[in-house]
Amino acid sequence: MAMIGAMVGAGNIWRFPYVMGDNGGGAFVVAFLVLLFLLAVPGLMAEVALGRYTGKGVIGAFRDVLGPGGLVGLGVVVLLVNIALMSYYSPVIAWTLYYAAHSLLFSFTATGFEAEPFMNDLFANSALMIGLHTVVMGSIAAILILGIRRGVERVVVYAVPALIVALVIMTIRGLTLPGATEGIAFTFGIEWEYLGYSQTWIAALGQALFSTGLGWGIALTVGSYLREYDDVPLGGGVFTAIGESSIGILAALAIFPIVFAVGVEPDAGAGLAFVSLVQVFPEIPFGGIVAILFFVGFFLAAFTSGLLITEVSVTTLAEETRFTRTQTVLGVCGGIWLLGIPSAYSVDILDYLDFVFGNWGLPLATLAIIGVIGWALGPERLRLLAVNQNAGVYVGKWWDPVIKFVIPAVMIFIMAYFAVENFGSPEMIGGMLVIVLFPIIGYAVMSVLEGRGGRPETAEVPGGDD
Amino acid sequence: MALTAEVLGVLTFTLLAFWGVAFWALTRTLRQEGRKVEILKHQDRMDTYSPRALAELREWIENNPDDPLADDARARYNECVTVLETTDRHFYDWSDEEITRLERV
Repeated sequence: MAMIGAMVGAGNIWRFPYVMGDNGGGAFVVAFLVLLFLLAVPGLMAEVALGRYTGKGVIGAFRDVLGPGGLVGLGVVVLLVNIALMSYYSPVIAWTLYYAAHSLLFSFTATGFEAEPFMNDLFANSALMIGLHTVVMGSIAAILILGIRRGVERVVVYAVPALIVALVIMTIRGLTLPGATEGIAFTFGIEWEYLGYSQTWIAALGQALFSTGLGWGIALTVGSYLREYDDVPLGGGVFTAIGESSIGILAALAIFPIVFAVGVEPDAGAGLAFVSLVQVFPEIPFGGIVAILFFVGFFLAAFTSGLLITEVSVTTLAEETRFTRTQTVLGVCGGIWLLGIPSAYSVDILDYLDFVFGNWGLPLATLAIIGVIGWALGPERLRLLAVNQNAGVYVGKWWDPVIKFVIPAVMIFIMAYFAVENFGSPEMIGGMLVIVLFPIIGYAVMSVLEGRGGRPETAEVPGGDD
Repeated sequence: MALTAEVLGVLTFTLLAFWGVAFWALTRTLRQEGRKVEILKHQDRMDTYSPRALAELREWIENNPDDPLADDARARYNECVTVLETTDRHFYDWSDEEITRLERV
């Protein structure tokens, strides 16, 4: 449930529908589904299993596999990407907080409310955005200091069902609006030619990484909390990946009928959910209450994602340093807050970072985690020792080449594809800086720290190819 | 505008593929969790591998006796065998014949 809570957030409700709208609707769903089962489900199994097998955070797990030395810096790469992602995700959580507050004030059902100016006013008000970003990171710090294991589960138990109920009500109402069937036809009508476009597959792949959180280090960290008897393939792989993505499909079902009914362009981009959805509340009986259910649920889901994304760095750094958990939380949250100010200040900067880290940072982090499992630990060893232990479904030998070859090849392809597509652009330069500098920083940091004898442990899981 | 059969087909397929699989995985995980808790309350220990997974683990140990992880693999294998021999309730579908044939590595 914690994993579901981690990734049922903006990645599914905000991002999934607009990426789907940009990439052919039903064709995108087919491509997404194929990649989900081919890459995300096996990849999540691997990440969760590594966490449970080592019982440690990202860097500790990497040290167990690789032995002490500079290569453990690959774990630092995952943390750096994670912190960078959180720096622009916090302002997105801030949007949902603002909308949740206004749902409680019944703003969306008030006379004369206009969705698009409302959203543009928020984005243009940098001081308000920075203030909301500060509230979000301050709240995350406070909860992380108090401890999250029970807290996150409790929040998720209420937030996700509330969100689903609101989305179902909105879907039903959306479907009864004049012109709504065009939205369904757009969403689920297959334009087969889209399956021949590389852009559809690349977008589906990027969304699979966002929807499931593969490569963020969250699955590994949550895996380290699992009990010995928990099920990795079914619970940590299939249910997590499909459960999280199901919310994205529901959000698309809720959004597109409304989009077509109210005449918003389906490829309207990042503002799609925020602009289109608020327009349906005046049309629904008890619309003000449904708005509260939706936006408060959305905020809580996004907030719990933020908690777990930040927890990855906190768990790892608390293990690796002599700082207390409180000091680590304050350091990590303070750093993210500082790095997040530009994204809170300007949506253009947020979009830039989303593009750079979505297309180069996240594949790089996924490559680091899956690469360590596939090429240092060996997928066969992990499958035999951890994946199939206490498993509800048996995972066969097909899994080994997927982890060793397919996922790394796809991650390298996605980085190369975007480099070629955006050659010479500021986005490409940012992406190249990430994939060159982050590994160098990671290697240098861990070489210095391990050289000083900071963590001179013998590897518990010695490397070697299977 | 009426929905075509193709659109309705894709809609049904998508809902089954996502919500159907998610519901199946959730109910199966919860049922198995319940069974595991019941077994652990009864006997405090539980078999950790299915017959197929344990056979594959044994094969790997025999093919890789000097692997750095072979000792860990042996410990996991032998623990599962011990539990199967000393407990009466099993999570996986083990027959008495299969358990009798098991040997430690």
